[in-house]
Amino acid sequence: MTTRIKDLNTAPNNVGKYLSTQGISRRGFLKFCTTMASMMAVSPTLLPQLVEALENAPRPSVIWLSFQECTGCTESLTRAHSPTVEGLIFDAISLDYHHTLQAASGEAAELAREEAMKAHWGKYLLVVDGSIPLGNPGFSTIAGMSNLDMLLEAAKGAAAIIAAGTCAAYGGIPKANPNPTGAVAVQDLIKDKPIINVPGCPPIPVVITGVLAHFLAFGLPELDSLGRPKAFYGQSIHDRCYRRPFYERGQFAETFDDEGAKQGWCLFKLGCKGPSTYNACATTKWNQGTSFPIESGHGCLGCSEPNFWDAGSFYKALSVPTGDLGKIAGYALAAGGIAGAAAGLLAQHKKGQAIKEHKIVTVNDLEKGNSA
Amino acid sequence: MSASLERGINAFKEHLDAPIAAFFSSCVHCGLCADACLFYTETGDLQYTPIHKLEPLRRIWEQEYTLLGILKKALGLSKPLTDKDLQDWQPLLYNSCTLCGRCSMVCPVGNDLVYMIRKAREGMSASGNAPAGMIGAAKRTVEIGSPMGVRLPALQAQAKHVEKDTGLHIPFDQVGAEYLVMLSSMEIMNYPEYLQAVAKIFKQAGKSWTLSSEAFEATNAGIQIGSSDIAREIVLRIVTAAEKLKVKTVISPECGHAYTAIRWEGANLVGRAFTFKVQHILEVLDELREQGLLKTQGFEEEKLTFHDPCQLVRRGGVIQQPRNLMNLIAHNFVEMNDHGKMNWCCGAGGGVSANEDADEIKMKAFNRKKIQLDELQVEGLVTACANCRIQLEAGLEEYEMELPVYGLTELLADHLVEDK
Repeated sequence: MTTRIKDLNTAPNNVGKYLSTQGISRRGFLKFCTTMASMMAVSPTLLPQLVEALENAPRPSVIWLSFQECTGCTESLTRAHSPTVEGLIFDAISLDYHHTLQAASGEAAELAREEAMKAHWGKYLLVVDGSIPLGNPGFSTIAGMSNLDMLLEAAKGAAAIIAAGTCAAYGGIPKANPNPTGAVAVQDLIKDKPIINVPGCPPIPVVITGVLAHFLAFGLPELDSLGRPKAFYGQSIHDRCYRRPFYERGQFAETFDDEGAKQGWCLFKLGCKGPSTYNACATTKWNQGTSFPIESGHGCLGCSEPNFWDAGSFYKALSVPTGDLGKIAGYALAAGGIAGAAAGLLAQHKKGQAIKEHKIVTVNDLEKGNSA
Repeated sequence: MSASLERGINAFKEHLDAPIAAFFSSCVHCGLCADACLFYTETGDLQYTPIHKLEPLRRIWEQEYTLLGILKKALGLSKPLTDKDLQDWQPLLYNSCTLCGRCSMVCPVGNDLVYMIRKAREGMSASGNAPAGMIGAAKRTVEIGSPMGVRLPALQAQAKHVEKDTGLHIPFDQVGAEYLVMLSSMEIMNYPEYLQAVAKIFKQAGKSWTLSSEAFEATNAGIQIGSSDIAREIVLRIVTAAEKLKVKTVISPECGHAYTAIRWEGANLVGRAFTFKVQHILEVLDELREQGLLKTQGFEEEKLTFHDPCQLVRRGGVIQQPRNLMNLIAHNFVEMNDHGKMNWCCGAGGGVSANEDADEIKMKAFNRKKIQLDELQVEGLVTACANCRIQLEAGLEEYEMELPVYGLTELLADHLVEDK
């Protein structure tokens, strides 16, 4: 990826050409577009449009700012073990500033950022990972500039902002109680630019590239009430979980090594946050589609939801009130959980009742009324 | 006691289980199941979309088992299911579904639609909304012993004929025989060659076998009409007879649903494991072939194809066996498009053949088979299900196609090396 900055002046100026110079066949590219179209739930009839738009999209200038973060989001994106088309799409953007990945350092690096901003003012895409400390500007600085100042300055000339990871989207772990640095999310500070939240700790790599592809081809994606693209965050982990049938049947693992756990039963009682978490883990999975946490026997932590770190124990069932009842969201979550559990019990009772009321059907009971 | 809406709704509630709840909540309304259903492809009528056939069951699930549905019902926002609704769905759940299971194969979210239709029929039959023809067939099976009303003396008479024609002995009630051979009424009345073929093959293979005078009919009208209680009663007869005769293996006849009934649903219905094995006749024949006990001579020179019975390929996985057997006796064996586990149904399984209301639509549905056959231009059609065979013969006549239809077991028996 470090070749990118060197390539800046000589590289072809649109995505399609760039990919062909990188040895990506048109077939490979079409496959990628098809996958993306289905993941983004774009109508198949729009596929040619996606292909054309992506091929001819000018390589957008991207400035990536990292604030109070752990670099996990960058790691997630770059940890593909083999170069993938997704990875190369990401390469196809002109990443003009990313302090973990760039070769330049010190003043030269900051100069690159300033130059890119000047050259593409109003058009560049700003990607942010990490939260911004308001407690004291000195808590986190880059080249002597506070995170807050750098964000405000860079946001001014951005076409749109992608808040990558839960820290940038909702404050994440830095903002967790007692929030010693006064951390806030990007959306708490910037109000006049479109912001796409791509939460997750870290976010799924293909979701980041998918959002990028959507932005290049169709502009801003449709967002949910928490600012997340509906295409990737439209369904709960629970709704797409392969252990769902056990939940419906009331078969739960009670501890991590009981018979239920060995049978692969539902992890709800062990604190799985799947029912209240919206993300694509259960469908796209991790590590090149290998698995997702529930498949490895651990409940979902709910890392793509706001305040996930403060939502009570990771190992307490959702329907158990978390004690953090000062927040309306907490109330709502607990009430939803209890109502859900109550409905589950009612359903079990009803089915039991129906079985009890079963009267043996003989061939003389197959006709209606008095004819039998 | 008679059927009532109340009993029907109770049956729906009773049979709605976790898989069904998961299936309904994960349906993405893509409509792929429509294209997999011959009743839709041959009519273009969207009401035959398989998932739509399940609307009554879906409504009960929503109203009784989902939070939103319970709230909607309490607030009077959703209408309760009426007897009229169920009546309206009879043509969809019975006349235009053969339980062939092709829809289950294509569902992108893995919904087992045919499983749901089988369960939905529980509510339909308990509420008195099963078709009259199928009620009649169920009654005859339980009261007389076979859906076509065939009684033991008729079978004994056919056995006598076979004995006279071939000089072979047809054993009844032999305790300790290796195989208990089951039949379908269609084989007794329409295709007595089957019994003759079985007798010849076992003679050559040197295997002991028997018929049972207490249970000779294997078709199960209870499964087709969708009543577990009736299905259990019918299966139990076979189980009792097989255990009494202490046989090692019960052989399902050349009939698809009979195989599903004893092989897959049987032990679950009875609630315990069988003391014997259940095999389809083709599985047995292929085993004999492997053991070198099926010696044939000569080949059919005609261009032949094989129609896969749905219950054998999709439910049973009996796909390779008929091919091995075909190649044993046919030089010019060709495959239809979509053969094997995606083969198209003949159009008359799952009780459709016993249901007069379906007479018209089952012939429309046969057009799918006609398309498959027209592509091949074969000189003969082989199958291994008496019910398929009757529909194939009727369909070919309806569409004015001259094509002989053979049962695979009989065809094999014709090529057996004669004992000297």
